[in-house]
Amino acid sequence: MRSKFPNRWLPLVILLPTLAVCALFLYYPVAQSFSWSLYRAAFMGLKRLYVGTQNYVRLFTSPDYVHTIGVSFLFAGGVVFLGLSVSLAIALLANQKVRGARIYRVSLIWPYALSPAVAGTIWLFLLNPTSGVVNYFFETLFGVKPDWLTSGRLALLSVTVAAVWKNLGYNIVFFLAGLQNVPGEILEAARVDGAGAWRTFWKITFPLLSPTTFFLFIMNIIYAFFGVFGLIDVMTKGGPVNATNILIYNLYRDAFQHNKWGMAAAQSVILFVFVVILTLIQFRTTGRRVHYGG
Amino acid sequence: MKRGCLLVTVLVLFSFGWVLAREKTQITFWHAMGGWRVEFIERMVADFNLTHPDIEVTVEYKGSYRDTLNAALAAARAGDAPHIVHSFEVGTQMNLDSGIFVPLEDLIDQYGLIVPWEDYIDPALNYYRVSGRLYCMPWNSSNPILYYNKTLLNAAGVEMPKKPTFEDIISISRAVKEKGLAEYGITWCLHSWYLEQWMADMGVDLVNNDNGRSGYATEINLLDPAAIKIMEWWKQLYDEGLWVNPGRENWSQARQVFISGQSAMLISSTSDVTLMENAAVEQGFELGTAFIPVPSDYERHGVVIGGGALWVTGGHPDSELRAAAEFVVWMTQVAQTIRWHQGTGYFPIRKTARTALEMEGWFDRYPNYRTALDQLQETQPITATQGALMGNFLEARTFIEDAIEAILAGTPVPEALAGAKAKIDQGLQDYLELVGG
Repeated sequence: MRSKFPNRWLPLVILLPTLAVCALFLYYPVAQSFSWSLYRAAFMGLKRLYVGTQNYVRLFTSPDYVHTIGVSFLFAGGVVFLGLSVSLAIALLANQKVRGARIYRVSLIWPYALSPAVAGTIWLFLLNPTSGVVNYFFETLFGVKPDWLTSGRLALLSVTVAAVWKNLGYNIVFFLAGLQNVPGEILEAARVDGAGAWRTFWKITFPLLSPTTFFLFIMNIIYAFFGVFGLIDVMTKGGPVNATNILIYNLYRDAFQHNKWGMAAAQSVILFVFVVILTLIQFRTTGRRVHYGG
Repeated sequence: MKRGCLLVTVLVLFSFGWVLAREKTQITFWHAMGGWRVEFIERMVADFNLTHPDIEVTVEYKGSYRDTLNAALAAARAGDAPHIVHSFEVGTQMNLDSGIFVPLEDLIDQYGLIVPWEDYIDPALNYYRVSGRLYCMPWNSSNPILYYNKTLLNAAGVEMPKKPTFEDIISISRAVKEKGLAEYGITWCLHSWYLEQWMADMGVDLVNNDNGRSGYATEINLLDPAAIKIMEWWKQLYDEGLWVNPGRENWSQARQVFISGQSAMLISSTSDVTLMENAAVEQGFELGTAFIPVPSDYERHGVVIGGGALWVTGGHPDSELRAAAEFVVWMTQVAQTIRWHQGTGYFPIRKTARTALEMEGWFDRYPNYRTALDQLQETQPITATQGALMGNFLEARTFIEDAIEAILAGTPVPEALAGAKAKIDQGLQDYLELVGG
């Protein structure tokens, strides 16, 4: 049933505060980003020169930026795959009815409460090539001291692991909530019918978890693209040779370090388009391939 | 009635207070020195306020140099710029072109302030003097210096000359490493700054047009034989396991490697001297210092002054501009310079301050500061050591550091440097079109 307002202006009036806030803090900056992306601008826009689409052309013809796009997707893929599988496994363990389950659950969620800068610093200490704990063990066990943060592939792996660890708590909370919602009767029925733990998980629990998984999939992609700036900045600053230079870090560098505001605005427009596409996919697929129980 | 009286009294008192408070000229000062220095600067400012009853300086720590400059630009856009902004040396060209600052020398002349310029050390003034005018007041000045672990070097049976060469560094590193005394010979953080300093010391301008001082720079000299020589040497040290990479711009990690005895030598800023002296005492080794190395077949020209300076923004009433200039000059008075040097390790930029410190026996207690000052005073006043002016200096540093990382990973030196040069030259061109046209 459609609810009716006494007159057609009332809904607008009620919406006005929200619209005003959105306009001031969202729509206006977005519009400004679009306009700045057509300029070469420096000094926070105090000086600018109209260049048309030059920023975009340069971005997409620059091997460095194309490389950055590649790194971002590789990184996001790693964060999503590793993050979801590890946290699902941990959530399954934490969902067992054992003594002190609550304590385990709380301690698992803990890392999420850390700020990215603190998490980055912790990993920086752990992975320190000469005096870090990780290399202490690597040297005792295997006799090698890898340069975790200063050699290209290892650096990407290191920040991926750090990013996954940082977001574990978030994923685990949602998986735990999802697992608690899996009806006990179904699981019991399966067990009575003689299904093993492995089969029960893949045939019953996992499909029933799919709304949670899908939600986390989207959230983790967004996290990998937008939420890891702090970690990268503290751990590698995008290096070595751009090996960990993801899109959002490149944007920050161009704007706040290199004083290239127009170029940065163009990059933010590209990221904007990317988010729009991601949101559309989310809207389209929600409810189709995902099984909502009940 | 009683209540009304009280109200009136309060209001009257309040307005008196307001009037009195308004009489003071209010000045804001944004700086970029974190940690314990925040409090140190606050104390200096408090002393200024105490001795200048008509001026009230409010000081605020704004984060890194970049953050501070960005915040100042944003404030200037909103018409509310802080009066004094602390900025780093590589931001000089950017600051000039941003148009929000006024040349300090103009203010000093306009308000008839007396500044004994001949007492200021030349390298500091030269850096910030553009087309004959001093734009800002050098404040926290430093440059690179070589620290070494004397105890380790003695054990290895080698001695560090006061002015070592590239070749000396290799042979000393090898000696230390071969005897198993330290894992690495030397370290410094992966930073473009070192390449810049070495090029200057070898007498080569970093960019064309007299290091960007006779006109906007359009080309960076990364393919100069000097740059290639430096990088070949750096790469050799790395390949032989004599230099360890502490990470990009990771100053603290580099210090850590040296302090913990994993390397016998370190190149770092002179502002670390006090820290290093203390660490050496704690770790039980003897600390030595020397000039930064240059190749034996190059003449030594000296170092470029690093650090930061104080800039005054325009668009304020005369009384405020005058007060700002007064504050900036006060900050570099002999007494303040001595205090600043002893408290932070940055150079005393006044000649008289050095004499006073000498007489007090300061350099006998901390001989390593003498090395730093000698290196600076022996610097020849040429464009190379005056320091490069580039509008896109920060971006250039990113590209140079990318190139260094690529070289360490195996890219041939000329190829990596040519790649960086192409990108930086493009940046210089873009910048020129934007501001110089």
